[in-house]
Amino acid sequence: MRRLTVLLMATFCAAVLASGCTKKENVIKVAVVAQMTGAEAKMGNDFKNGVSIAVDEWNSKGGVLGKKIEVLTGDDQADPKQAVSVANKMVNEGAAGIIGHFNSSCSIPASDVYTRANIPMITPASTNPLLTERGYKGVFRVCGTDDQQGKVAADFAKSKLNVKKVAILHDKTTYGQGFADLFKKHLGAAVEVVYYGGITKGDKDFKPVLTSIKEKKPDLIFFGGIYPETGLLVKQAREVNITAPFLSGDGSIDPKFVEIAGDKAAEGTYLTFSPDPDNIPAAKDFIGKYRSKFGELGPYSIYAYDAVNILLAAIKEAGTTDGKTVAEKLHSMEFSGALGKMRFTEKGDVSQSPYVVWVTRNGKFEEYWKP
Amino acid sequence: MLLQQLINGLTLGSVYAIIALGYTMVYGILELINFAHGEIYMLGAYLGIIFLGIFTAMGLTAANFPLALILTVLITVFFCSAYGFTMEKVAYKPLRNAPRLSPLISAIGVSIFLQNYVMLTQGATDKVFPYRYGEAHVHFLNVEMTYLQVMIIATSALLMLALHLFRKTRMGKAMRATAQDKTMAALVGINVDGIISLTFVIGAGLAAVAGIMVASYYGIVNYFIGYVAGIKAFTAAVLGGIGSIPGAMLGGILLGLIESLGAAYISSEYKDVYAFVMLLIILLIRPSGILGRHTEEKV
Repeated sequence: MRRLTVLLMATFCAAVLASGCTKKENVIKVAVVAQMTGAEAKMGNDFKNGVSIAVDEWNSKGGVLGKKIEVLTGDDQADPKQAVSVANKMVNEGAAGIIGHFNSSCSIPASDVYTRANIPMITPASTNPLLTERGYKGVFRVCGTDDQQGKVAADFAKSKLNVKKVAILHDKTTYGQGFADLFKKHLGAAVEVVYYGGITKGDKDFKPVLTSIKEKKPDLIFFGGIYPETGLLVKQAREVNITAPFLSGDGSIDPKFVEIAGDKAAEGTYLTFSPDPDNIPAAKDFIGKYRSKFGELGPYSIYAYDAVNILLAAIKEAGTTDGKTVAEKLHSMEFSGALGKMRFTEKGDVSQSPYVVWVTRNGKFEEYWKP
Repeated sequence: MLLQQLINGLTLGSVYAIIALGYTMVYGILELINFAHGEIYMLGAYLGIIFLGIFTAMGLTAANFPLALILTVLITVFFCSAYGFTMEKVAYKPLRNAPRLSPLISAIGVSIFLQNYVMLTQGATDKVFPYRYGEAHVHFLNVEMTYLQVMIIATSALLMLALHLFRKTRMGKAMRATAQDKTMAALVGINVDGIISLTFVIGAGLAAVAGIMVASYYGIVNYFIGYVAGIKAFTAAVLGGIGSIPGAMLGGILLGLIESLGAAYISSEYKDVYAFVMLLIILLIRPSGILGRHTEEKV
């Protein structure tokens, strides 16, 4: 028994020494955290690719504060519980800043962990308003919020499509239901909501609910959710002969959506999203590098790229990796990235609403309407 | 509207029924709940996608789609039956005389193994069925029914009929005798091991057909679909009375109808709840299921 205790003590001491060592290493660590496995793993890998291009650029110029930058990768499996444990892991590994997470339902609990550890976090994709509404000074996002997105979607439905009756569905997640509720709020009293309800994420059979919706004869069906369900909903809606168009958001703008729904069913589906990066002059350089290295851009690759550039610029400006100082710099600086000029509000959101409406044509997405 | 919802429910229910048959047949013979049965269904869906993909690459799908589909089904059924056969030999046969809990744990082990095996070899992302059936409809009485739905319901009905006829054959009689009493069956010269293998093979073949039908109907498949489908089909089998073949058919169709009607008329948010509430009610009133017999404990 005593021998065991001694052994344990020795291991413990060795572990402490080892962790002491890593702290003295001459690198600055930046963590990318999102789902790297599971059904939406592609989104996480898009983050990783975007970040790796930015970090390579910085490292070829000599890094930041005279140190090389190292990328840590964390997998939250799109699961809030896993997000918290991977967040703690990143804190323990000494990350100076976090790029992540993807899902709002992961970003929100993880941001508690980072805030406690005084590490700034910039999410490229979590759009739920709640994330930045809790007074945390070190939480930022380079994408828009669902409030901004819901407003653009509602304006589009009212002024461009002139809908009178709308059916609203959501997938009961923080993102999906939040987006659907904000869309409903911004629609106001002029449009009648003939159906409002949730579906279960991961379910495959939506014909019963679609048949009920068909009875109500809506001019438009809105869905707050991610592409696997959007694809199935659109496909099955056409099978029960619903002709009303679908409107959904940034979670669905992925080639997989068209693949699941089929070109014909997906035709004419509207999606709110940020403007086409191909039309942004500043993004040209990044897009070229990305395509030659990883192939086609994911919807959030460019956001991850800008997020890490902004973080590193703030670290450089602050002259330290101390979380509080870096966060202050992030609040006060103006950045010009691949998406154009960007400034954070008091809360940590971007000051300008970046949303436009896209449409699906012949299996591809095209920019369609600007508010 | 009601008719449309009934058709929706019937499509879903007939798939549940086919999977439930595999549960109920194995339970009838071994009193084992084969939790890995849902994974066979999942393997069927994947193999269907793989073989149809191969035929598409060979140009057969474009040239003669019905032939490609039939070949896909046959090959998939063959492979899944082989999986079912092997599963029984590897995981259950060595435990035939062990306490009842041991094969149950073994079944859960097989289930976890197969899920992870498929996840690692095929990836964790959704796979899309390589062929589109188009949106051609049968249209009657204000009901929209795709040809695929007609095909699913017809195939299920046909398979159930075939299984029913099988019961009357020599082999079917041997199977029923084994279910009643294994020792007695062995004494009258029935090859009990062979019959048990056959049960697994038939169950797996049915699950394979269900897997292909679901893969083509919804168009997407992932390594996790076997779990949910397995639980639903198991519920269907218990609802109808586990061990009873007509019970499994009735339970499956009932479950599909309850889910569809619940989602349509109450709320789609609690779709999975209705089935289990129904199960609870049935089990309170009739503990052995709708068509289940109350069997005396053998002394």
